[in-house]
Amino acid sequence: MRGSQQLSYVPAVNRRDFLQRAACGFGSIALQAMLADIATAAKAPLAPRATHFAARAKRVIFLFMAGGPSQHDLFVPKPRLVRDHGRRVGLTDLPSGAPVGTDKFLTLGPMAPILPRGESGATISTLLPHLAKVADDLCFLHGMQVDNPAHDLATLQFNTGVFNEVRPAMGAWASYGLGSENENLPGFVSIHADADVRAYGSAFLPAAHQGTVIGQIPTDPRESAIRFLSDPETTKDAQRRRIDFVQAANRELLDRIGEDRVMEGVIDSFELAFRMQTATPQLVDLSTEAAETLALYGVGTDATDKNGRACLLARRLCEAGVRFVQVTIGGWDHHGDIRGALPNSCLGADQPVAALIIDLKRRGLLDDTLVVWSGEFGRTPWSQDITGTAPLEKHGREHQPESFTTFLAGGGVRRGFSHGETDEFGYKTTSGRVHIHDLHATILHLLGLDHERLTYRHAGRDYRLTDVYGTVIRQIIA
Amino acid sequence: MGTRVVTTIGRLAAGVAIAFSASISFAAQPALTEQMEFFEQRVRPLLVEHCYPCHAGNKRQGGLSLEYRSGWQTGGDRGPAILADRPEDSPLLRAVRYQDDYPQMPPDGKLSAEQIAVLEQWVRMGAPDPRDGEAIEAAPGPSGTLWVLEPLPDVTPPQVDNAEWPLGDIDRFVLARLEQKGWQPSPDVDRGAWLRRVTFDLTGLPPTMAEVDAFLGDASEEAFARVVDRLLSSREYGERWARPWLDLVGYADQIGSANNVPAEQAWRYRDYVIRALNAEKPFDQFIREQLAGDLLTSSSIEERQDQIIATGFLVLGNVNIVESDKLVMRMDLVDHQIEKVGKAFLGMSLQCARCHDHKFDPIILQDYYGLAGIFASTESTRKVDRGVWSTVTLVTLPETLAEFTTREAALSAHDREVEEIRQEQALSARRIDEIDRLLETAEQGISNGESATLANASSPEDDRSPAELKQERADLAAKVAACNQRLWHKDYIRPSAPATFAVKEGAEIGNSRICLRGNPHAPGDVVPRGFIRAMARGTGPKIPADQSGRQQLADWLTGPASHVVSRVTVNRLWQKLFGRGIVDSVDYFGARSEPPSHPELLDFLARQFISQGWSQKQLLRELVLSRTYRQQSTATTAASTMLAADPDNRLLWRMSPRRLEAEMIRDALLASSGLLRCSAGGPALAPEFMENVGELDPKSVNPISFSLQRFRDDAPRVRTIYLPVVRSSEQRGPADILNFFDFPQPAQYTGGRPTTAVASQALFLINGPLLQQAAKSLTETLLADSSLEDEEARLHALYRRVLNRPCTPEELSNARAFLGASAPAAPENGSAGADASRHDSWQQLAHALLASNEFLFRL
Repeated sequence: MRGSQQLSYVPAVNRRDFLQRAACGFGSIALQAMLADIATAAKAPLAPRATHFAARAKRVIFLFMAGGPSQHDLFVPKPRLVRDHGRRVGLTDLPSGAPVGTDKFLTLGPMAPILPRGESGATISTLLPHLAKVADDLCFLHGMQVDNPAHDLATLQFNTGVFNEVRPAMGAWASYGLGSENENLPGFVSIHADADVRAYGSAFLPAAHQGTVIGQIPTDPRESAIRFLSDPETTKDAQRRRIDFVQAANRELLDRIGEDRVMEGVIDSFELAFRMQTATPQLVDLSTEAAETLALYGVGTDATDKNGRACLLARRLCEAGVRFVQVTIGGWDHHGDIRGALPNSCLGADQPVAALIIDLKRRGLLDDTLVVWSGEFGRTPWSQDITGTAPLEKHGREHQPESFTTFLAGGGVRRGFSHGETDEFGYKTTSGRVHIHDLHATILHLLGLDHERLTYRHAGRDYRLTDVYGTVIRQIIA
Repeated sequence: MGTRVVTTIGRLAAGVAIAFSASISFAAQPALTEQMEFFEQRVRPLLVEHCYPCHAGNKRQGGLSLEYRSGWQTGGDRGPAILADRPEDSPLLRAVRYQDDYPQMPPDGKLSAEQIAVLEQWVRMGAPDPRDGEAIEAAPGPSGTLWVLEPLPDVTPPQVDNAEWPLGDIDRFVLARLEQKGWQPSPDVDRGAWLRRVTFDLTGLPPTMAEVDAFLGDASEEAFARVVDRLLSSREYGERWARPWLDLVGYADQIGSANNVPAEQAWRYRDYVIRALNAEKPFDQFIREQLAGDLLTSSSIEERQDQIIATGFLVLGNVNIVESDKLVMRMDLVDHQIEKVGKAFLGMSLQCARCHDHKFDPIILQDYYGLAGIFASTESTRKVDRGVWSTVTLVTLPETLAEFTTREAALSAHDREVEEIRQEQALSARRIDEIDRLLETAEQGISNGESATLANASSPEDDRSPAELKQERADLAAKVAACNQRLWHKDYIRPSAPATFAVKEGAEIGNSRICLRGNPHAPGDVVPRGFIRAMARGTGPKIPADQSGRQQLADWLTGPASHVVSRVTVNRLWQKLFGRGIVDSVDYFGARSEPPSHPELLDFLARQFISQGWSQKQLLRELVLSRTYRQQSTATTAASTMLAADPDNRLLWRMSPRRLEAEMIRDALLASSGLLRCSAGGPALAPEFMENVGELDPKSVNPISFSLQRFRDDAPRVRTIYLPVVRSSEQRGPADILNFFDFPQPAQYTGGRPTTAVASQALFLINGPLLQQAAKSLTETLLADSSLEDEEARLHALYRRVLNRPCTPEELSNARAFLGASAPAAPENGSAGADASRHDSWQQLAHALLASNEFLFRL
């Protein structure tokens, strides 16, 4: 099925063309130019590509709150939930479409005040004091929707648009649509990814668009963030000698074979790999950042260190030209004892996320960097008691894909704006519904790509990130 | 846009004609005539210009057609577009007003206030609309035009000018195409390289040095056939060829992709495929067993086991087992099964027809739901006690006497171990009771003002403080809990009667209803169970009312549709040998596929495949013994025209070099370095290690889960096909290489793998531990071999082990230079340092050879 696509990523200028052209008697300057030409062609899959129309954002940072944060405790104040806290939902007021049995649940009010912030009056919980300070930079979507209540599947849908098939992740589509701004780096990087590989996969798109995973950002700059980036057992000289031996043998073989695009690709990949060994560690080495910046992100403080490093690295990768950086911040799946656990999750995420927005802004990067903050779904306004015996204050909340809150910042979206409303329970969207397909369409739109025209032919059909759906949410565009 | 205008004008004209006839019925009511005028003059132009581009013809964005009255009456995903009783709430108006959460229509800019007012007025009038007719989606293409649906013709191999070259019919087809172009085939590859090629292709492994020597020592023409017969009858043959089939099945040792639910019995299906291939099971029987093995008759227990195991084909893909909407879950599963059958056997994307007639292939909605009825009448999953979860149906297998005896023995050992844990737990529990009594006594004593030790309490030998006792109690309680875990775990791995993931006839058997736009909550007409009409020659078998129809589906595939199935199957085998299929898109033979490169050859082979009893070995034998297969892959200067005109080698003027697949790379590394160990198959997951199993507590709302914390000791050395396959994460442990070299995500069904060349692969080869281990082992063997007299002999031995050939004089001097540079100054202090340095430089060289393209490619 992939047969017809399988070689599309290899250099368009092949060795043979090069040799033929080189044999025509150019001087060394022309030769240099041609080598540069070949170097560009060798990275053809990641070469920058023209957008469909003027872009508002050049890159995306997707802060993925794995587990599904509770909008009812963080962003959406509903007087009804405060009033009815601890009361049975009951049959009379049950929102239409709520699952059978919901009437028996207890209404669960927010655990901390959710207050209007800044000039925009965006409502943010006291659990997120840092975020509250940048409220006027945020654009809230309160009517987000996905179609599946299971983590893995909703995560897949949030990333790829579907949950029952293998499709490219939005980062892979962005990389495919725009190419990379830096020839030595991948177009799509996923930091702390803990989801199914399909959530950052390239599926049928050329493999170069696959998310490169940074599993753990090393605190020691000598450690590697990319798998097998270094070999501590072998000296650089010995390694280079070995690579030279391999490359000489590979070139000799290629000469005999005459032409083979995969073989040529392998030769190029060895050189890129060798370059990455020196370029990437510097990029990942956060110790070169100013102490003030490290402190801003909470690097060095226990609660915020991991996420602070991830957010800071996301900024550095964006500066270096990566198109789509995904940062996974987990720990939001509060089925039980949400009152005990949510404050800790907030503590770990609040400062790093706010710092990223502040830092991007002061560096002038926020204008053309779209920040997306979202879980794979939200949580219910009624409580969940997984033990069956816990008192109300130990209850949690169940998954809610029907409506939840996502916020965006920068990259051409309106500042200090809120879009979408839900019913008095915060269950059903009453206006401003944004299905994940619509968000995908909007993200691509901001990147200068028409979601209906960004297609890839596979198995006899043109595929899109938004499949046959998706509407750009124009109201939120500045 | 230009073309759109033209087509809509055409449609408009047709619409007017209909309007004319329709208006007759309105003629009696002048008011209506007025309304019709309003529609024609104000509304229709607006619809045509702003709505038809996405909501007319075969365009139905959001499921909505606005081309006919019936279109907005039925409506799309959001129901009717105009509401007679609540005109103001009509989705159409809300959309054009850009109102609240409705899609804003038209999306490229809001209509003017005047235009919106027109629509509002029209809707308030009750939306008078003369446009009779049904919005019908694109009709299926004419079936006669799709070549794969044509019966298999009796093709005669063509005449060729160079009668010397062909060894058989295949070569005549290939040569004839080349001669048409005025081209010549490439010279034969040298015999050693042919042996390496054919051994990789048939067994997934390189030949041993002894096999090379034996073949090179036998100069006869029959030597080729002897090699092929030896390879085809080896166990390794099945191990290599099972894997492409598992790619099509979406095989994993995991159920679905949520929560790491183990598919403990999936290995039975993997081993079944290996057995079936090695036993040369005819492909039509292979199909029949996988679709309906449970319904076939058998003559032995082993045969019965295989028949049931084979139906795992239908359930071992990415089956969703958690979904609150059970109707949707069931329909999604049926959809997966239809997709798999369509792709694996028919080379068609059938699932498009879940929502609409296929856009360009002759598959219509009724065909899809005819098949859906078959699978909906089949039990594939069932609800389990835990939480919201379902699981794949598990069927108990009949047991042979030998299996029963072995199990009984294992069971008594198991029961003994369980008893030991129980006793250990009881002991701890008794001690807890004792301590509780002691503490109670002590507390009473304290309250009576006595000293806080227990020396004077009931137990004279225990003089510890209550604090110490409480600590011991806590430790004991932890021990009791740990014993619980161990008991649950023992219960989980208890030797029980063999069972396998399989399907059976459903409790309710019947026809399916069409799901409108694929939505099971929107049922349409009932469709009788059946097959794809356009694909069959003659009528298919009748499905009795009390049977699902799986058996008849298998009969249909191997009978009336066999011309399609055999073409698809032959093409898959061809692709694995020659790098590309005769039809390039091996899973898709529809109207949008590239035309075949050698259509007559494909028909010839497909017809022969059936007449030779659907024998895969027979076909492979003929392919690898052809002259076409024997061509060299290097392009001589004489080949420059062909290289320039046909760089992809579509016409087979040489053998295409191909990078080894991930499994072959690992297996070859292990084989060349002497690390490879045989395996007889069996369970891939290692549930016997407690750390690999989670959610054991029977009260858990989640199913039992697995992790791959610990592998069996032999895992790093067995062939890759026997390692566990995970669907929801990267492949673990010894299977790590699969994450780098294009192993297909087992959540999909695919017959073709891409070949990528990316930097992460190079890093794996340069720095990863797998090559280092192989290089180390290889070096140890070479340096310990006292029969190798000098460095030159040793270098030849290294090349022979890794590349199956001695090194050339040039390579010899390069390798010597490399060894010299890698050990520039041998340490003077003693031979130990010198040995280590020598070992290191040899290991570096071995590593370099193992990372080279000549090793990683099948040339």
